[in-house]
Amino acid sequence: MDQPMFFSNEWADAVRDALTAGPTKQQREGKLDEYWDFYELIKSLYPASWALGCRDLPASVGKAPAYLTVRWDGGTVITCQITGPDDPLDATYVLDMDYQGWRELHDGFDPQRTVMYRKILLEDGDLLEFFKTIYFFVECLAIIGKVPAQYPETTAD
Amino acid sequence: MAERKSPTAVLREGPRALSDAQVREIEEADLAEVGDVDIDDVIEYVHKDLKSLPDYVTLYRKYLKQRWDVYDLDFTQDKIDWTEKMSEEERQSFIAVSSGFHHGERQVEIELPVFMIGAGEEEKLHIAAQIEDEARHTVFFDRFYREVVGLAGDDIMEVLDASFQWVSETFVGPFGLLAYQADEVRRNPYDERARVRYGTTYFLWIEGVLALSVMKVTLSYARWRGFLPAYYAGFTATCRDESRHVQGGMRYLQDAVRKDPSMITEIHNTLRTILSLSGVASRRIYFEPLGWTEEEVQILFFQQLRRKLSDVGIGLTPDLEELLGQVQPTLAGG
Repeated sequence: MDQPMFFSNEWADAVRDALTAGPTKQQREGKLDEYWDFYELIKSLYPASWALGCRDLPASVGKAPAYLTVRWDGGTVITCQITGPDDPLDATYVLDMDYQGWRELHDGFDPQRTVMYRKILLEDGDLLEFFKTIYFFVECLAIIGKVPAQYPETTAD
Repeated sequence: MAERKSPTAVLREGPRALSDAQVREIEEADLAEVGDVDIDDVIEYVHKDLKSLPDYVTLYRKYLKQRWDVYDLDFTQDKIDWTEKMSEEERQSFIAVSSGFHHGERQVEIELPVFMIGAGEEEKLHIAAQIEDEARHTVFFDRFYREVVGLAGDDIMEVLDASFQWVSETFVGPFGLLAYQADEVRRNPYDERARVRYGTTYFLWIEGVLALSVMKVTLSYARWRGFLPAYYAGFTATCRDESRHVQGGMRYLQDAVRKDPSMITEIHNTLRTILSLSGVASRRIYFEPLGWTEEEVQILFFQQLRRKLSDVGIGLTPDLEELLGQVQPTLAGG
């Protein structure tokens, strides 16, 4: 079966399912149980939403900037959808990354370094509140990156 | 180096009183001589001036006298110690700690320039010197990982890539926060509240608490066992550099609060986030091969934090005191 296109509605559905399911057993290996207990605790209580942007989405995929809006409640993802540049942006935290950063994340670049190297940046929202749950966010970023998808070549490639 | 007292002896001794001669020895030692200086004396030296903090020009003048050439270090004996004398357990424990520094030095090097934009002119001199220090520390770890640990790479980033496997997942807590706070300062370089939040993470937490605590673990091990002489000399010189950074950073925070007492809220809010993050670990690190226990590292960490806060006159709120009791510090620094 063909993989969904990055930043398509089908991809957003797959991201929703993956985030709700959480990390696989393989993804949990090598980290302490207490770390995952903390992750599960945050997930169960997380009241916020993210708008994860792609600043320069290729024209073949859609209009830029586009956002993947993820809304959490009660330990599950209640909204996971693509919004375009003309749609209202409604999220607790708005973060942006270049298309290249998204591709690198998908290709296995470390999500922790994706944050530390400022490939993804917080554009709107309370920074100190956002960071109180940064481990949860980073693990979710890892999950999103691993969702199978087609990433079209761009002219720069 | 002869075998010396145990790495954790200082925990029982408490703060030391440095004589004028000891202070002179630390301040004036060149790279060849700094290898003979006791790391506990250098850490005490960091605190010596915290109660009456030096001005930025004094710190800059100290930098001009104390800077050292990272390419003068000879890691030949360190390579022999690493491959022939240290046990596998010692190597694994050592690298689990030092890799946080390998990446931490790089992070504090690249996140500092934006802070200079909104600084006073004299402070700019000190920050410029500090950026050069951090670049030198980055090269120090690059050389150590290439020449002693044996990691390969065509450039600095490839060596960083190779050592990242030993970096804990919780590293992103303080260092990701610093990166995002640096971006906040980049967008509004004269926003004093954003600068105080950034300064709390960088100067108080990463440099004043994490770095000084973790430096002591590997350096006291090297001194105790008589191993890794170039690492000991270079990293002890790094610790002396950190004394200027911590003193400059504490000067900045103290001045900011004196000028506007409401700035204490920014320090508390930043510590609240940092301490919220610091109650969880993703990996268990075994310190015993380095002569430490996890509990002793915790004690060292609390000593460092309490002394900084006390010396510069920053009190904690009850909720911060409670959070402090749950902390497991990230083993990294810069």
